[in-house]
Amino acid sequence: MTLRTYIISRILLTIPMIFILLTMVFIVVRVLPGDPVLLHFEKAENPEAMEEMRRKLGLDKPLWIQYFDYLSGLLRGDLGKSMAPGFYPVAQQIFSAFPATLELAIFSMIIAVLIGIFLGVEAAKAYNKPKDHAIRIFGIVTYAIPVFFLGMIFQITLGVGLHLLPVGLRKSPTMDAPVGLNIGGINLSTGLYTVDSLLEGNIYKFVESLRYLVLPSLTLGLVLSGVFIRLTRSNMLETLRLDFVTAAKARGLKERVVTYGYALRNAFLPVLTMMGLQFATLLGGAILTETTFSWPGLGRYIVDRINFRDYTAIQGAIVVFGIFVSIVSLVVDLLYAYLDPRIRL
Amino acid sequence: MREKAIGKMVIIGIVIVIIIIAGVAGYYLTMPKTRLKDTLIMGTTDSVESCLDPARAYDFFGWEIIQSLGCGLVEYRAGATGSIDDIVPSLATSWDVSSDGLVWTFNLREGVKYDDGTEFNATHVKYTFDRGMGIADEDGPFVGIGYSDIIENVTVVSKYVVKFYLKIPFAAFLSLMACQASYIVDPAYAPMDSVVEYVEGNPRASHPMGLGPYKLKSWTRVGGKDDEIRLEANPNYWNATGGYPKTKNIIIKMYADSAGLATAMNALEIDIAFRQLSATDINSMKTNTNLRVWEGTGAFIQYLVLQEKYAPFNETKIRQAIGAAINRTTIVQTVFLGQAQKLYSMIPIGMFSHTDAFQTLGDPNYTLTRELLSEFGYNEANKLSFKLWYESSGHYPQSPQQAQALKASLEASGVISVTLDSADWASYREKRRNEEMEAFILGWYPDYIDPDDYIYPFVHSSGGSWLHHNYNSTQMDELIAWARGNTSTTVRSNLYAEIQDLLVEDCPLVPLYQGSAYAVTKTNVKGIYLDITQSWRHWMVYAEE
Repeated sequence: MTLRTYIISRILLTIPMIFILLTMVFIVVRVLPGDPVLLHFEKAENPEAMEEMRRKLGLDKPLWIQYFDYLSGLLRGDLGKSMAPGFYPVAQQIFSAFPATLELAIFSMIIAVLIGIFLGVEAAKAYNKPKDHAIRIFGIVTYAIPVFFLGMIFQITLGVGLHLLPVGLRKSPTMDAPVGLNIGGINLSTGLYTVDSLLEGNIYKFVESLRYLVLPSLTLGLVLSGVFIRLTRSNMLETLRLDFVTAAKARGLKERVVTYGYALRNAFLPVLTMMGLQFATLLGGAILTETTFSWPGLGRYIVDRINFRDYTAIQGAIVVFGIFVSIVSLVVDLLYAYLDPRIRL
Repeated sequence: MREKAIGKMVIIGIVIVIIIIAGVAGYYLTMPKTRLKDTLIMGTTDSVESCLDPARAYDFFGWEIIQSLGCGLVEYRAGATGSIDDIVPSLATSWDVSSDGLVWTFNLREGVKYDDGTEFNATHVKYTFDRGMGIADEDGPFVGIGYSDIIENVTVVSKYVVKFYLKIPFAAFLSLMACQASYIVDPAYAPMDSVVEYVEGNPRASHPMGLGPYKLKSWTRVGGKDDEIRLEANPNYWNATGGYPKTKNIIIKMYADSAGLATAMNALEIDIAFRQLSATDINSMKTNTNLRVWEGTGAFIQYLVLQEKYAPFNETKIRQAIGAAINRTTIVQTVFLGQAQKLYSMIPIGMFSHTDAFQTLGDPNYTLTRELLSEFGYNEANKLSFKLWYESSGHYPQSPQQAQALKASLEASGVISVTLDSADWASYREKRRNEEMEAFILGWYPDYIDPDDYIYPFVHSSGGSWLHHNYNSTQMDELIAWARGNTSTTVRSNLYAEIQDLLVEDCPLVPLYQGSAYAVTKTNVKGIYLDITQSWRHWMVYAEE
């Protein structure tokens, strides 16, 4: 199978997967007990107002019409209307929160992978020595420690105690949010503050955005790094025993070059797979991190909407999460196929 | 070979150094020069629930912002106790009421302008109330408070005189005019038949007011909740010449929870923390010399509802026995660490006409509880058993702990056995509506500052119907009607005293505690008034240099 055929077949497989996901979300939300409209009337039943709410949300139509409205809406990027007063579009709410979660997830993943790979390799190199044991213990501790607890320790020490880093929020209250790049009246903005501040050419905003990112992404990154440490270590242990490593060493290549240039490249494939899988965990973990650091992301949005029993918003958020995780796993699979041709066989 | 490698390393090193120098220089060049002293940063866990239109907004924080962006005909002076004497002029300079209490005439302040320069006049007052009652938003205060049941019509007499014709003599009318739902809207921004909603990136189009001490400079919402609100002094504010607002810019930042807010305050990243901080955080902040804790009367109350549909709660004496077995000291001291007050009436402490009526039942008086219950055959061997419900999704402060304390205090009588159960807010409301809960805990923030707002919505046969507790009393209805219709503070105080006594006799509800209001600031912040109106007056707050 050529790489192109593999890509096409993998994309084609993703489509029914997403379709099944969308259908399941639709069904699950509707079989939950209780009338979602009735729950939102504070003092007394008002049949007219309740009927109006059902009409606005499209809940007065037969289920199969609701289903097709839902699917055709998704194709147009319409995730329905929130049940909160005002009936604001869910898509607008989700996409206003999504960049914050994405930025946090990306930086946390970078930190987790960097720490994980570095310590994993170092542990493998120092197999069964005190350094190896210390790194393994560190890996277990970071994996087991609750996100909110680690976050709180960082807040108290680096924020409240030493005033080195901000303890919460996404930017300084007195700073305007980065707006991205304006070319001829057209605004290019990603919603990622670090990227937008660079597009805007404002170093101050870039540094400030990074400062606010440090604690939440370090917290989440450290917690995730445990998995990568263990995975990298075990794969490196196997790889370092292989003949090509011995051969490379015998040819006089420096140990750093052999370890990072040759052995790690081989041991990296399972780590890549894990990165894809961990992205889903990361989005889940972001909920706690976002609450601890008052990070205005999608995790907080979902918790808030669940408390409000906002069924349409919950449905929309699950769909976006699901599609995002599907896309990440697709990308990982494609990268995997690119790096290891055996996958395509 | 080696020389080449060294040369390469040197070049890379130089590039890195240049990048670092450029970065540091860029950071300092683009960094705003020292923060303005006329800016205060406030942290909160609140968020505007729906919008900033008085026709719909019906939440604490929404009203807090509305109060800064708009103005009513009258307002409560700082430090008010809820008495009619605390009401002072705002957009109206004077007023009078007809002898039958049915016609209120307001003389308006002349030369007042909106933030956009439009002149304010009497037609805007009529427009505001016609619009609010016309839209009659189901989630809004015009329906919730029942404006249409009170106001017959609003008539413009002249450019600066307006008359309100009422359907009933309503003593709390001035209080109603002082509440944020009655704030005047600018017809240019407030469509007659629709509510003004949040418009992303356009703060002026996101609210219909413009007569207040502040303008809405920006309003950022993320995921349907507030992320940041910036207020900027309105130079056209009628009292700008009086030196208000004292601080030019207010930036309000939203934190995810009380722990996040407390951490930010402890790290001195914000100037003010207001709503909601936990009791433990407040106690620990009291010992922090970098901070000042401001304490005031709260208007929030919590109470126990006994559903009369279920036997034996249909028996008055059984309800009284429950009322006598409540140990409020435990709730206040153990659950709220002393940051609440024991409440013996539905009318809060600090409000005129309040009496400690429920103290006659004891606090607790287990002898009375046992005596009353024994009449129905309940004793140590045959205990009165029932399920006590509480809200579990954080809608009220420390609900599970409160419920535990209540259970312990009721069971200490030796003749009562309580099982606890809970539901999230949405389900809790549904269960209340369906009359599924025999005993449950509820809370209340006032709409307008008057005893009427603590009595009519709870024990009047019509006003209290939303509670579904099945309490009906003709005597109570008559007393409430008299108290609502009389404008004499003395006569009303006497009537409310009678009402409070009757409440103890009938015991459909048992008041538990009254929350205290707390704000924490840096030590240089001044001008904070936490009174029973629960108004946060942004325009009076300032920080000394």
